[in-house]
Amino acid sequence: MIGSQPRPESSQGGVVQAVIQNIINGTMMGCIYALITLGLSLIFGVMNIVNFAHGDFVMISMYFTFWASSLWAIETVATPLITFPFLFLFGILTYYLIIHKTLREKYVIQIAITVGLMTFLRAVAQLLWKASPRAISYSIVQGTFVIGNYTIMMSRFTSAVVSVAVIYLFSLFLNHTWQGRAIRAASDDLDAASLMGISYKWTYALAFGLGTAITAIAGGMLMTFQQVDPTMGLRFGLLSFCILALAGLGTTLGIIISGVIVGIAESLAMGMWDPRASSLVVYMIFILVLWLKPRGLFGRK
Amino acid sequence: MQNLQTMKQKRSIPYTAIVLFIIALVLPILFRRSQYNLILLTTVVMYGVLATSWNIIGGMAGQFDLAAGAYLGLGAFTSGTLLIRWDITPWLGMPAGGLIAIGFAVLIGYPLFRFRVREVWYALSSAALVSVLRVAFLMWEEVGGPTERYIPYHDWSFYHLRFSSYIPFYYIMLILLVIALFINHWLSRRKLGYYLLALGDNEDAAEILGVNAQACKLKALMIYAFIGGMVGGLYACLYGFIHPKFFSNTMSLEVAILGIVGGMGITYGPLLAAAILVSMREFLRASLGGQMQSLYLGIYSFVLIIIVLFKPQGLGALLRDIYSRLNYIFRKESPKP
Repeated sequence: MIGSQPRPESSQGGVVQAVIQNIINGTMMGCIYALITLGLSLIFGVMNIVNFAHGDFVMISMYFTFWASSLWAIETVATPLITFPFLFLFGILTYYLIIHKTLREKYVIQIAITVGLMTFLRAVAQLLWKASPRAISYSIVQGTFVIGNYTIMMSRFTSAVVSVAVIYLFSLFLNHTWQGRAIRAASDDLDAASLMGISYKWTYALAFGLGTAITAIAGGMLMTFQQVDPTMGLRFGLLSFCILALAGLGTTLGIIISGVIVGIAESLAMGMWDPRASSLVVYMIFILVLWLKPRGLFGRK
Repeated sequence: MQNLQTMKQKRSIPYTAIVLFIIALVLPILFRRSQYNLILLTTVVMYGVLATSWNIIGGMAGQFDLAAGAYLGLGAFTSGTLLIRWDITPWLGMPAGGLIAIGFAVLIGYPLFRFRVREVWYALSSAALVSVLRVAFLMWEEVGGPTERYIPYHDWSFYHLRFSSYIPFYYIMLILLVIALFINHWLSRRKLGYYLLALGDNEDAAEILGVNAQACKLKALMIYAFIGGMVGGLYACLYGFIHPKFFSNTMSLEVAILGIVGGMGITYGPLLAAAILVSMREFLRASLGGQMQSLYLGIYSFVLIIIVLFKPQGLGALLRDIYSRLNYIFRKESPKP
């Protein structure tokens, strides 16, 4: 995944340069991971539902991006304009059809239903797009630029900037609009929020729809430099849960910082140790955080 | 409450169980012409064993464990490596795999329960564990590595547990199934079983009443890991190779789903779910797989969602309802609520 940086010589300066290069790459990846996690945090934080299918929504939106850019020749960076409303509707539909009925059930039933949804999405993706990986052929953000000794991929840089901008817009939405405040109120105290005239059904549906729709942006951005295959969903799902565990609930800045931490750890493990070790490091962080800081580093609750 | 009702009805089960056991004994003789059907049967029974043992930690103790693949893989690698390297029989390798799985379960479970990692976070950390082990074994070239390691071929060797037919594997798996069911049944009448059910219902309340949650959950996890490790040892011999992909997230998820669909805390539920769902999946795969890739997976998960949506208590509870309804029709007894 992260691979195209030039390999420096194995001198002392070369090692430092490689570390810094990996940190730069990891930071950019981490911003996108943070964007994915934001959607998950919205769903998990508001209605306390563990959405195992979140990673597969990312996968589906990457495929939609692939379709939009290869069938209709729409520029990849612009595809979220189409896929965002589509996934928003998809999320709301999912909420009303499936999730809403399980709100009062035990958490195991909720996990079972989202795991079923995950498998279903994976099957649909395999049915529509076959099992072989897909990638887009062209995007305006391809190419690299060089700052000092460090090479930065244009696509990743754009993605990171867009991700941070979207996260910022979302925190504005959550803090300064009626709907956003309703979502936060419902996540804090559902009964009190209902008494204040907030329809919890619509608020939940909105939160689920938005949480799903965010993956459209993340998917569109990921697609500019990555390929997609039907089985990649669970990896993103676990990754975003790892970031969420690290960040704790209810902080937007915490999600960005944790995303960057995980991104850097993954990138360093991949570049300096062994390409296979990336998930190892991420999951070790995850398990250690759960043991030592169950509320996350920046948790509010 | 449901669980208490199950216990009261236990008396009616043994007769049915004996009949089913005899049917299970005869089945491979009926299907002996086709090796495909035999491995299908063995797979169904294997999922039955895994889901039944999952019932102890998941259904009874209420810990949503997603690490079935981890214990299975550990068992497979222990037994397989012992056989490949030192020619030690899997009959010793299987319990050894079980013991290593127990050791690992304690290593992981102790801090998890000590630091009160619960519910969702327990589920996720156990899912992460499977991935950690898979990558670790991929990188550990001496034992694992990216290439398959084949178990030496023997035409018919009881010592090496290699047969040119799947029938013996089926019977060994059946023995494991009986052991798993027996442990389940036995536990549900012991103090530990009641403690676990209480923990599954409401952990805080159970702890206030004096249940040592940490110790009970750890015991349940150890039993579950041991059975998982044993199955893993057999799994390696059944498929004839070991590979880090045995540490499979998909399989772990499926075992847990079977446990839920079967009915949490109902002894025969997971087996019922495995018998219905796994054979349905394989049937769909065989009949549709050629025409449309993964259509079977779509139908399978669709059925799964429908069952969980409309009968969250599980297939076991559904069977019980039907049973009491039939009782009412034929004997005019009042249906049990």
